[in-house]
Amino acid sequence: MKRTFKELLASRTVLLDGGMGSGLIAMGLQSGGCPELWNLERPDLVQKIHGNYYEAGSDVVQTNTFGGSALALRRHALAEKMESLNLAAAAIARQAADRMPDPSERYVAGNIGPSGLFLPPVGNAEPAELEDAFAAQASVLAKGGVDYISIETMTDLKEALLALEGVRRMTDLPVTVCLTFEMKKRGFFTMMGNSPRDAAASLVDAGADAVGANCSVESKAMLEACPLFFEGSSVPVVLKPNAGLPEMERGLPVYRQDPADFARDVAAMADMGARAVGGCCGTDRHFIAALRRELDARCGRSDA
Amino acid sequence: MDSAGLISKQKQAVLDGSAERAVELAREAVEGGADLMACIDDGYVAGIQEVGRLWEEGEFFLPELVQGADAMKSAMDVLRPALLSRDDGPKTEIKVVIGTVEGDIHDIGKTLVATFLEANGFKVIDLGRDVPVDRFVETVVAEEAQVVGLSALLTTTMPAQARVIELLKERGAKDKTAVLIGGAPVTRSFMEEIGADGFAANAVEAVAKVKELSGMEK
Repeated sequence: MKRTFKELLASRTVLLDGGMGSGLIAMGLQSGGCPELWNLERPDLVQKIHGNYYEAGSDVVQTNTFGGSALALRRHALAEKMESLNLAAAAIARQAADRMPDPSERYVAGNIGPSGLFLPPVGNAEPAELEDAFAAQASVLAKGGVDYISIETMTDLKEALLALEGVRRMTDLPVTVCLTFEMKKRGFFTMMGNSPRDAAASLVDAGADAVGANCSVESKAMLEACPLFFEGSSVPVVLKPNAGLPEMERGLPVYRQDPADFARDVAAMADMGARAVGGCCGTDRHFIAALRRELDARCGRSDA
Repeated sequence: MDSAGLISKQKQAVLDGSAERAVELAREAVEGGADLMACIDDGYVAGIQEVGRLWEEGEFFLPELVQGADAMKSAMDVLRPALLSRDDGPKTEIKVVIGTVEGDIHDIGKTLVATFLEANGFKVIDLGRDVPVDRFVETVVAEEAQVVGLSALLTTTMPAQARVIELLKERGAKDKTAVLIGGAPVTRSFMEEIGADGFAANAVEAVAKVKELSGMEK
Protein backbone atom coordinates (compact mmCIF):
# COMPACT_ATOMS: atom_id res chain seq x y z
CA MET A 1 0.00 0.00 0.00
CA LYS A 2 1.16 3.48 -0.79
CA ARG A 3 2.58 5.40 2.12
CA THR A 4 1.15 8.83 2.82
CA PHE A 5 3.34 11.82 2.08
CA LYS A 6 3.85 12.37 5.80
CA GLU A 7 5.05 8.79 6.22
CA LEU A 8 7.41 9.26 3.29
CA LEU A 9 8.74 12.47 4.84
CA ALA A 10 9.33 10.68 8.14
CA SER A 11 11.15 7.78 6.49
CA ARG A 12 13.90 9.47 4.46
CA THR A 13 15.08 12.58 2.62
CA VAL A 14 12.47 13.36 -0.03
CA LEU A 15 13.63 14.57 -3.43
CA LEU A 16 11.31 17.18 -4.90
CA ASP A 17 11.47 18.48 -8.48
CA GLY A 18 13.12 21.50 -10.11
CA GLY A 19 11.86 24.51 -12.02
CA MET A 20 8.68 24.37 -14.12
CA GLY A 21 8.49 27.84 -15.65
CA SER A 22 11.97 27.71 -17.17
CA GLY A 23 11.12 24.33 -18.70
CA LEU A 24 7.94 25.70 -20.27
CA ILE A 25 9.81 28.72 -21.64
CA ALA A 26 12.40 26.36 -23.15
CA MET A 27 9.48 24.56 -24.84
CA GLY A 28 8.17 27.76 -26.33
CA LEU A 29 6.03 29.51 -23.70
CA GLN A 30 6.26 33.24 -24.38
CA SER A 31 7.66 35.45 -21.63
CA GLY A 32 4.58 37.03 -20.05
CA GLY A 33 2.35 34.15 -21.17
CA CYS A 34 0.26 32.19 -18.67
CA PRO A 35 2.07 28.92 -17.76
CA GLU A 36 -1.09 27.39 -16.27
CA LEU A 37 -2.94 27.75 -19.58
CA TRP A 38 -0.68 25.02 -20.94
CA ASN A 39 -2.46 22.55 -18.65
CA LEU A 40 -5.33 22.82 -21.15
CA GLU A 41 -3.50 23.76 -24.34
CA ARG A 42 -0.27 21.72 -24.12
CA PRO A 43 -0.86 19.03 -21.50
CA ASP A 44 1.61 16.75 -23.35
CA LEU A 45 4.48 19.18 -22.75
CA VAL A 46 3.60 19.79 -19.11
CA GLN A 47 3.46 16.03 -18.58
CA LYS A 48 6.81 15.64 -20.33
CA ILE A 49 8.42 17.97 -17.76
CA HIS A 50 6.87 15.99 -14.87
CA GLY A 51 8.01 12.72 -16.48
CA ASN A 52 11.54 14.05 -16.90
CA TYR A 53 11.69 14.87 -13.20
CA TYR A 54 10.37 11.47 -12.12
CA GLU A 55 12.87 9.80 -14.42
CA ALA A 56 15.65 11.96 -13.01
CA GLY A 57 14.72 10.64 -9.55
CA SER A 58 12.15 13.02 -8.07
CA ASP A 59 9.90 11.43 -5.46
CA VAL A 60 7.52 14.35 -5.88
CA VAL A 61 6.51 16.61 -8.76
CA GLN A 62 4.52 19.76 -8.30
CA THR A 63 1.45 20.59 -10.38
CA ASN A 64 1.80 23.45 -12.87
CA THR A 65 -0.45 25.67 -10.77
CA PHE A 66 1.93 28.14 -9.15
CA GLY A 67 -0.11 31.07 -10.51
CA GLY A 68 -3.32 29.07 -10.51
CA SER A 69 -5.36 30.91 -7.89
CA ALA A 70 -8.20 32.97 -9.35
CA LEU A 71 -6.42 36.13 -8.16
CA ALA A 72 -3.15 35.26 -9.89
CA LEU A 73 -5.00 34.13 -13.05
CA ARG A 74 -6.79 37.49 -13.16
CA ARG A 75 -3.55 39.01 -14.48
CA HIS A 76 -4.10 36.95 -17.61
CA ALA A 77 -7.89 37.48 -17.59
CA LEU A 78 -8.25 33.74 -16.93
CA ALA A 79 -9.82 33.80 -13.46
CA GLU A 80 -12.91 31.96 -14.69
CA LYS A 81 -10.70 29.04 -15.77
CA MET A 82 -9.37 28.49 -12.25
CA GLU A 83 -11.18 25.22 -11.74
CA SER A 84 -10.46 23.64 -15.13
CA LEU A 85 -6.76 24.68 -15.11
CA ASN A 86 -6.13 23.25 -11.63
CA LEU A 87 -8.10 20.09 -12.26
CA ALA A 88 -6.23 19.49 -15.52
CA ALA A 89 -2.90 20.16 -13.79
CA ALA A 90 -3.58 17.59 -11.10
CA ALA A 91 -4.64 15.01 -13.69
CA ILE A 92 -1.51 15.63 -15.81
CA ALA A 93 0.81 15.13 -12.82
CA ARG A 94 -1.11 12.04 -11.63
CA GLN A 95 -0.85 10.49 -15.09
CA ALA A 96 2.88 11.20 -15.18
CA ALA A 97 3.19 9.32 -11.87
CA ASP A 98 1.04 6.43 -13.13
CA ARG A 99 3.25 6.03 -16.18
CA MET A 100 6.28 5.30 -14.03
CA PRO A 101 7.13 1.65 -13.27
CA ASP A 102 6.75 2.40 -9.55
CA PRO A 103 3.69 4.69 -9.29
CA SER A 104 3.22 3.96 -5.59
CA GLU A 105 6.61 5.60 -4.94
CA ARG A 106 5.70 8.77 -6.86
CA TYR A 107 3.91 11.68 -5.24
CA VAL A 108 2.14 14.78 -6.54
CA ALA A 109 2.17 18.12 -4.73
CA GLY A 110 -0.56 20.64 -5.51
CA ASN A 111 1.39 23.85 -5.92
CA ILE A 112 0.05 27.20 -4.70
CA GLY A 113 2.00 30.42 -5.24
CA PRO A 114 1.39 34.04 -4.23
CA SER A 115 -1.79 35.84 -5.28
CA GLY A 116 0.22 38.63 -6.87
CA LEU A 117 -1.62 41.10 -4.65
CA PHE A 118 -0.13 42.82 -1.65
CA LEU A 119 -1.62 43.22 1.78
CA PRO A 120 -1.52 46.55 3.63
CA PRO A 121 0.59 48.59 4.11
CA VAL A 122 2.30 47.65 0.83
CA GLY A 123 -0.93 47.13 -1.10
CA ASN A 124 -4.68 47.20 -0.62
CA ALA A 125 -5.60 43.52 -0.83
CA GLU A 126 -8.32 42.23 1.49
CA PRO A 127 -7.09 39.35 3.67
CA ALA A 128 -10.43 37.52 3.30
CA GLU A 129 -10.25 37.78 -0.49
CA LEU A 130 -6.80 36.15 -0.50
CA GLU A 131 -7.81 33.39 1.89
CA ASP A 132 -10.90 32.56 -0.16
CA ALA A 133 -8.92 32.40 -3.39
CA PHE A 134 -6.36 30.01 -1.87
CA ALA A 135 -9.14 27.91 -0.33
CA ALA A 136 -10.88 27.58 -3.69
CA GLN A 137 -7.67 26.55 -5.47
CA ALA A 138 -6.76 24.03 -2.76
CA SER A 139 -10.20 22.48 -2.94
CA VAL A 140 -9.84 21.86 -6.70
CA LEU A 141 -6.31 20.46 -6.32
CA ALA A 142 -7.52 18.11 -3.56
CA LYS A 143 -10.38 17.01 -5.80
CA GLY A 144 -7.80 16.35 -8.53
CA GLY A 145 -6.07 13.84 -6.28
CA VAL A 146 -2.83 15.51 -5.18
CA ASP A 147 -1.01 13.92 -2.20
CA TYR A 148 -0.37 17.17 -0.41
CA ILE A 149 -0.45 20.94 -0.89
CA SER A 150 2.76 22.90 -1.36
CA ILE A 151 2.53 26.65 -0.73
CA GLU A 152 5.63 28.33 -2.14
CA THR A 153 7.56 31.52 -2.89
CA MET A 154 5.60 33.59 -0.41
CA THR A 155 7.29 36.91 0.30
CA ASP A 156 4.89 37.94 3.04
CA LEU A 157 4.37 35.77 6.12
CA LYS A 158 0.86 37.20 6.44
CA GLU A 159 -0.08 35.96 2.97
CA ALA A 160 1.52 32.56 3.67
CA LEU A 161 -0.60 32.25 6.82
CA LEU A 162 -3.75 33.19 4.89
CA ALA A 163 -2.92 30.56 2.27
CA LEU A 164 -2.35 27.94 4.97
CA GLU A 165 -5.63 28.91 6.64
CA GLY A 166 -7.46 28.73 3.31
CA VAL A 167 -6.05 25.28 2.50
CA ARG A 168 -6.83 23.99 5.98
CA ARG A 169 -10.44 25.10 5.61
CA MET A 170 -10.94 22.85 2.58
CA THR A 171 -8.82 19.75 3.06
CA ASP A 172 -7.04 17.54 5.58
CA LEU A 173 -4.13 16.93 3.17
CA PRO A 174 -0.68 17.72 4.55
CA VAL A 175 0.57 21.24 3.78
CA THR A 176 4.15 22.41 3.30
CA VAL A 177 4.90 26.14 3.28
CA CYS A 178 8.03 27.76 1.80
CA LEU A 179 8.81 31.43 1.96
CA THR A 180 11.31 33.34 -0.11
CA PHE A 181 14.12 34.99 1.79
CA GLU A 182 16.66 37.53 0.62
CA MET A 183 20.19 37.94 1.85
CA LYS A 184 20.31 41.33 3.56
CA LYS A 185 23.22 42.89 5.42
CA ARG A 186 21.72 41.81 8.74
CA GLY A 187 20.90 38.29 7.56
CA PHE A 188 18.04 36.49 5.87
CA PHE A 189 14.64 38.11 5.72
CA THR A 190 11.59 38.08 3.48
CA MET A 191 10.93 41.22 1.48
CA MET A 192 8.55 42.22 4.27
CA GLY A 193 11.10 41.69 7.05
CA ASN A 194 10.12 38.25 8.39
CA SER A 195 13.08 36.18 9.64
CA PRO A 196 13.26 32.41 8.99
CA ARG A 197 12.88 31.73 12.72
CA ASP A 198 9.75 33.89 13.13
CA ALA A 199 8.26 32.56 9.91
CA ALA A 200 8.81 28.91 10.88
CA ALA A 201 7.45 29.42 14.38
CA SER A 202 4.25 31.13 13.16
CA LEU A 203 3.66 28.61 10.38
CA VAL A 204 4.17 25.62 12.68
CA ASP A 205 1.79 27.24 15.16
CA ALA A 206 -0.76 27.63 12.40
CA GLY A 207 -0.53 23.95 11.54
CA ALA A 208 1.99 23.60 8.69
CA ASP A 209 3.29 20.03 8.31
CA ALA A 210 6.64 21.20 6.96
CA VAL A 211 8.18 24.64 6.48
CA GLY A 212 11.16 26.06 4.64
CA ALA A 213 12.51 28.25 1.90
CA ASN A 214 12.52 28.26 -1.87
CA CYS A 215 13.78 30.53 -4.62
CA SER A 216 15.55 33.90 -4.30
CA VAL A 217 19.00 32.65 -3.36
CA GLU A 218 21.47 30.23 -4.88
CA SER A 219 22.52 26.98 -3.24
CA LYS A 220 25.71 28.42 -1.67
CA ALA A 221 23.83 31.17 0.14
CA MET A 222 21.04 28.84 1.23
CA LEU A 223 23.53 26.31 2.56
CA GLU A 224 25.14 29.04 4.63
CA ALA A 225 21.76 30.10 6.01
CA CYS A 226 20.62 26.50 6.49
CA PRO A 227 20.87 26.37 10.32
CA LEU A 228 18.49 29.36 10.57
CA PHE A 229 15.70 27.32 9.05
CA PHE A 230 15.89 24.68 11.75
CA GLU A 231 15.75 27.13 14.66
CA GLY A 232 12.05 27.89 14.75
CA SER A 233 10.87 24.64 13.27
CA SER A 234 9.65 21.57 15.14
CA VAL A 235 8.45 20.07 11.83
CA PRO A 236 10.42 18.83 8.78
CA VAL A 237 12.29 21.50 6.81
CA VAL A 238 11.97 21.92 3.01
CA LEU A 239 14.74 23.70 1.05
CA LYS A 240 14.73 24.53 -2.68
CA PRO A 241 17.37 27.03 -3.80
CA ASN A 242 17.89 28.53 -7.24
CA ALA A 243 20.61 27.51 -9.68
CA GLY A 244 22.95 30.42 -9.08
CA LEU A 245 22.17 34.02 -9.87
CA PRO A 246 20.47 34.86 -13.17
CA GLU A 247 22.29 36.84 -15.84
CA MET A 248 20.38 38.46 -18.65
CA GLU A 249 21.06 37.18 -22.14
CA ARG A 250 19.00 38.28 -25.13
CA GLY A 251 16.28 39.46 -22.79
CA LEU A 252 15.97 36.16 -20.88
CA PRO A 253 17.39 35.17 -17.52
CA VAL A 254 20.17 32.57 -17.78
CA TYR A 255 21.40 30.49 -14.84
CA ARG A 256 24.97 29.28 -15.01
CA GLN A 257 25.52 27.08 -11.96
CA ASP A 258 26.88 23.60 -12.62
CA PRO A 259 24.37 20.85 -11.64
CA ALA A 260 27.03 18.84 -9.74
CA ASP A 261 27.98 21.92 -7.72
CA PHE A 262 24.32 22.60 -6.93
CA ALA A 263 23.75 18.96 -5.96
CA ARG A 264 26.67 18.96 -3.50
CA ASP A 265 25.31 22.05 -1.74
CA VAL A 266 21.77 20.75 -1.52
CA ALA A 267 22.83 17.26 -0.38
CA ALA A 268 24.80 19.00 2.37
CA MET A 269 21.55 20.68 3.45
CA ALA A 270 19.98 17.23 3.69
CA ASP A 271 22.95 16.10 5.80
CA MET A 272 22.25 19.00 8.14
CA GLY A 273 18.66 17.88 8.53
CA ALA A 274 16.54 19.15 5.62
CA ARG A 275 13.86 16.48 5.02
CA ALA A 276 12.72 17.54 1.54
CA VAL A 277 15.00 19.14 -1.04
CA GLY A 278 14.76 20.21 -4.64
CA GLY A 279 15.47 23.13 -6.93
CA CYS A 280 13.75 26.33 -7.90
CA CYS A 281 14.46 28.83 -10.71
CA GLY A 282 17.00 27.71 -13.28
CA THR A 283 17.10 24.07 -12.14
CA ASP A 284 16.05 21.31 -14.54
CA ARG A 285 16.17 17.50 -14.68
CA HIS A 286 19.97 17.55 -14.85
CA PHE A 287 20.12 19.27 -11.47
CA ILE A 288 17.63 16.82 -10.00
CA ALA A 289 19.48 13.82 -11.47
CA ALA A 290 22.74 15.11 -9.98
CA LEU A 291 21.02 15.61 -6.63
CA ARG A 292 19.55 12.08 -6.80
CA ARG A 293 23.08 10.71 -7.26
CA GLU A 294 24.41 12.73 -4.32
CA LEU A 295 21.58 11.64 -2.01
CA ASP A 296 21.84 8.00 -3.04
CA ALA A 297 25.61 8.03 -2.61
CA ARG A 298 25.38 9.53 0.87
CA CYS A 299 22.67 7.55 2.55
CA GLY A 300 21.42 5.08 0.00
CA ARG A 301 17.74 4.52 -0.73
CA SER A 302 17.32 2.09 2.13
CA ASP A 303 13.74 1.42 1.22
CA ALA A 304 14.08 1.46 -2.57
CA MET B 1 9.17 77.58 12.91
CA ASP B 2 12.66 78.15 11.50
CA SER B 3 13.09 76.58 8.10
CA ALA B 4 15.87 74.18 9.18
CA GLY B 5 13.57 72.83 11.88
CA LEU B 6 10.70 72.45 9.45
CA ILE B 7 12.88 70.68 6.92
CA SER B 8 14.27 68.22 9.45
CA LYS B 9 10.71 67.41 10.57
CA GLN B 10 9.73 66.79 6.95
CA LYS B 11 12.60 64.38 6.59
CA GLN B 12 11.59 62.64 9.81
CA ALA B 13 7.96 62.29 8.64
CA VAL B 14 9.20 60.29 5.62
CA LEU B 15 11.44 58.16 7.83
CA ASP B 16 8.47 57.49 10.11
CA GLY B 17 6.36 56.61 7.09
CA SER B 18 3.66 59.05 8.19
CA ALA B 19 1.79 60.49 5.20
CA GLU B 20 -0.45 62.46 7.53
CA ARG B 21 2.48 64.24 9.19
CA ALA B 22 4.26 64.77 5.86
CA VAL B 23 1.17 66.51 4.43
CA GLU B 24 0.69 68.64 7.54
CA LEU B 25 4.29 69.86 7.30
CA ALA B 26 3.96 70.50 3.55
CA ARG B 27 0.91 72.71 4.19
CA GLU B 28 2.86 74.53 6.89
CA ALA B 29 5.64 75.18 4.37
CA VAL B 30 3.25 76.52 1.72
CA GLU B 31 1.34 78.73 4.16
CA GLY B 32 4.49 80.04 5.81
CA GLY B 33 6.11 80.91 2.45
CA ALA B 34 9.04 78.53 2.98
CA ASP B 35 11.55 77.70 0.27
CA LEU B 36 9.63 74.81 -1.29
CA MET B 37 12.54 73.51 -3.36
CA ALA B 38 14.58 73.25 -0.17
CA CYS B 39 11.70 71.39 1.51
CA ILE B 40 11.67 68.92 -1.37
CA ASP B 41 15.44 68.47 -1.71
CA ASP B 42 16.58 68.60 1.92
CA GLY B 43 13.36 67.45 3.58
CA TYR B 44 11.28 64.90 1.70
CA VAL B 45 13.82 63.66 -0.84
CA ALA B 46 16.57 63.51 1.78
CA GLY B 47 14.12 61.51 3.89
CA ILE B 48 13.38 59.00 1.17
CA GLN B 49 17.07 58.66 0.37
CA GLU B 50 17.69 57.84 4.02
CA VAL B 51 14.85 55.30 3.87
CA GLY B 52 16.59 53.76 0.85
CA ARG B 53 19.89 53.65 2.71
CA LEU B 54 18.29 51.95 5.72
CA TRP B 55 16.69 49.47 3.34
CA GLU B 56 20.09 48.64 1.88
CA GLU B 57 21.44 48.20 5.41
CA GLY B 58 18.69 45.68 6.11
CA GLU B 59 17.12 47.86 8.81
CA PHE B 60 14.03 48.70 6.74
CA PHE B 61 11.90 46.39 4.60
CA LEU B 62 9.28 46.82 1.91
CA PRO B 63 6.51 48.06 4.26
CA GLU B 64 8.78 50.88 5.51
CA LEU B 65 9.87 51.68 1.93
CA VAL B 66 6.29 51.89 0.71
CA GLN B 67 5.11 53.96 3.65
CA GLY B 68 8.09 56.32 3.25
CA ALA B 69 7.38 56.70 -0.46
CA ASP B 70 3.69 57.31 0.26
CA ALA B 71 4.60 60.02 2.76
CA MET B 72 6.85 61.68 0.17
CA LYS B 73 4.23 61.40 -2.59
CA SER B 74 1.48 62.78 -0.36
CA ALA B 75 3.64 65.78 0.52
CA MET B 76 4.46 66.31 -3.17
CA ASP B 77 0.73 66.44 -3.94
CA VAL B 78 0.54 69.48 -1.67
CA LEU B 79 3.80 71.10 -2.81
CA ARG B 80 3.40 70.60 -6.58
CA PRO B 81 0.41 72.96 -7.16
CA ALA B 82 1.93 75.50 -4.79
CA LEU B 83 5.23 75.37 -6.64
CA LEU B 84 3.55 75.79 -10.02
CA SER B 85 1.47 78.74 -8.85
CA ARG B 86 4.54 80.58 -7.67
CA ASP B 87 6.30 82.46 -10.44
CA ASP B 88 9.79 81.36 -9.52
CA GLY B 89 9.32 77.64 -10.17
CA PRO B 90 10.71 76.15 -13.38
CA LYS B 91 8.07 75.23 -15.97
CA THR B 92 7.99 73.31 -19.23
CA GLU B 93 5.25 71.91 -21.45
CA ILE B 94 7.09 68.63 -21.79
CA LYS B 95 5.14 65.58 -20.69
CA VAL B 96 6.79 62.51 -19.21
CA VAL B 97 4.93 59.25 -18.67
CA ILE B 98 6.63 57.15 -16.01
CA GLY B 99 6.04 53.85 -14.23
CA THR B 100 7.46 50.54 -13.01
CA VAL B 101 6.90 47.78 -15.56
CA GLU B 102 4.51 44.88 -15.13
CA GLY B 103 5.41 42.19 -12.63
CA ASP B 104 7.53 44.62 -10.68
CA ILE B 105 6.34 46.40 -7.56
CA HIS B 106 9.54 48.25 -6.71
CA ASP B 107 8.71 51.88 -7.20
CA ILE B 108 10.85 53.91 -4.88
CA GLY B 109 13.41 54.78 -7.59
CA LYS B 110 10.67 55.56 -10.08
CA THR B 111 8.89 57.77 -7.52
CA LEU B 112 12.11 59.65 -6.81
CA VAL B 113 12.63 60.27 -10.52
CA ALA B 114 9.01 61.45 -10.87
CA THR B 115 9.45 63.80 -7.92
CA PHE B 116 12.67 65.29 -9.30
CA LEU B 117 11.08 65.74 -12.72
CA GLU B 118 8.08 67.50 -11.23
CA ALA B 119 10.32 69.71 -9.13
CA ASN B 120 12.05 70.65 -12.40
CA GLY B 121 8.77 71.70 -13.95
CA PHE B 122 7.96 68.68 -16.14
CA LYS B 123 4.39 67.48 -16.46
CA VAL B 124 4.68 63.99 -15.04
CA ILE B 125 2.09 61.28 -15.49
CA ASP B 126 3.00 58.63 -12.93
CA LEU B 127 1.28 55.33 -13.73
CA GLY B 128 2.55 53.72 -10.52
CA ARG B 129 3.96 50.21 -10.28
CA ASP B 130 3.19 46.89 -11.99
CA VAL B 131 2.06 48.81 -15.09
CA PRO B 132 0.98 46.65 -18.07
CA VAL B 133 2.85 47.17 -21.35
CA ASP B 134 -0.34 48.35 -23.15
CA ARG B 135 -1.08 50.92 -20.52
CA PHE B 136 2.28 52.63 -21.05
CA VAL B 137 1.76 52.78 -24.79
CA GLU B 138 -1.88 53.89 -24.60
CA THR B 139 -1.00 56.68 -22.18
CA VAL B 140 1.98 57.85 -24.23
CA VAL B 141 -0.22 58.02 -27.35
CA ALA B 142 -3.22 59.64 -25.63
CA GLU B 143 -1.11 62.25 -23.82
CA GLU B 144 1.30 62.79 -26.72
CA ALA B 145 4.11 62.48 -24.20
CA GLN B 146 7.60 63.37 -25.40
CA VAL B 147 9.34 61.00 -23.00
CA VAL B 148 8.44 57.72 -21.33
CA GLY B 149 10.41 56.43 -18.35
CA LEU B 150 10.38 52.68 -17.65
CA SER B 151 11.67 51.32 -14.37
CA ALA B 152 12.52 47.67 -13.64
CA LEU B 153 14.25 46.43 -10.52
CA LEU B 154 14.28 42.74 -11.36
CA THR B 155 16.16 40.88 -14.06
CA THR B 156 12.94 38.96 -14.61
CA THR B 157 10.93 42.11 -15.35
CA MET B 158 13.49 43.85 -17.55
CA PRO B 159 12.10 42.13 -20.68
CA ALA B 160 8.91 44.18 -20.18
CA GLN B 161 10.98 47.32 -20.90
CA ALA B 162 11.81 45.82 -24.29
CA ARG B 163 8.16 44.91 -24.90
CA VAL B 164 7.03 48.51 -24.32
CA ILE B 165 9.51 49.65 -26.97
CA GLU B 166 8.30 46.96 -29.38
CA LEU B 167 4.68 47.97 -28.88
CA LEU B 168 5.52 51.67 -29.31
CA LYS B 169 7.12 50.77 -32.65
CA GLU B 170 4.11 48.67 -33.65
CA ARG B 171 1.77 51.57 -32.95
CA GLY B 172 4.05 53.97 -34.84
CA ALA B 173 4.68 56.01 -31.69
CA LYS B 174 8.36 55.28 -31.17
CA ASP B 175 9.57 58.18 -33.40
CA LYS B 176 7.63 60.75 -31.37
CA THR B 177 8.62 59.49 -27.95
CA ALA B 178 12.01 59.04 -26.34
CA VAL B 179 12.36 56.03 -24.06
CA LEU B 180 14.38 56.30 -20.86
CA ILE B 181 15.01 53.14 -18.84
CA GLY B 182 16.14 52.79 -15.26
CA GLY B 183 16.48 50.36 -12.38
CA ALA B 184 19.37 48.61 -10.66
CA PRO B 185 20.04 45.85 -13.25
CA VAL B 186 19.80 48.18 -16.29
CA THR B 187 23.04 48.77 -18.19
CA ARG B 188 24.12 50.70 -21.28
CA SER B 189 24.44 47.48 -23.26
CA PHE B 190 20.90 46.44 -22.31
CA MET B 191 19.70 49.91 -23.35
CA GLU B 192 21.37 49.49 -26.75
CA GLU B 193 20.13 45.93 -27.12
CA ILE B 194 16.47 46.85 -26.67
CA GLY B 195 16.66 50.16 -28.55
CA ALA B 196 15.98 52.56 -25.67
CA ASP B 197 17.14 56.17 -26.06
CA GLY B 198 18.75 56.58 -22.67
CA PHE B 199 19.26 55.14 -19.24
CA ALA B 200 19.91 56.75 -15.89
CA ALA B 201 21.45 55.41 -12.71
CA ASN B 202 19.77 57.88 -10.35
CA ALA B 203 17.14 60.61 -10.21
CA VAL B 204 19.54 63.50 -10.91
CA GLU B 205 20.87 61.73 -13.99
CA ALA B 206 17.31 60.97 -15.04
CA VAL B 207 16.36 64.66 -15.00
CA ALA B 208 19.45 65.53 -17.08
CA LYS B 209 18.62 62.74 -19.54
CA VAL B 210 14.98 63.82 -19.89
CA LYS B 211 16.13 67.38 -20.59
CA GLU B 212 18.51 66.06 -23.24
CA LEU B 213 16.04 63.63 -24.81
CA SER B 214 13.21 66.16 -24.94
CA GLY B 215 15.48 68.67 -26.67
CA MET B 216 15.63 71.15 -23.78
CA GLU B 217 19.37 70.70 -23.48
CA LYS B 218 21.86 69.15 -25.82
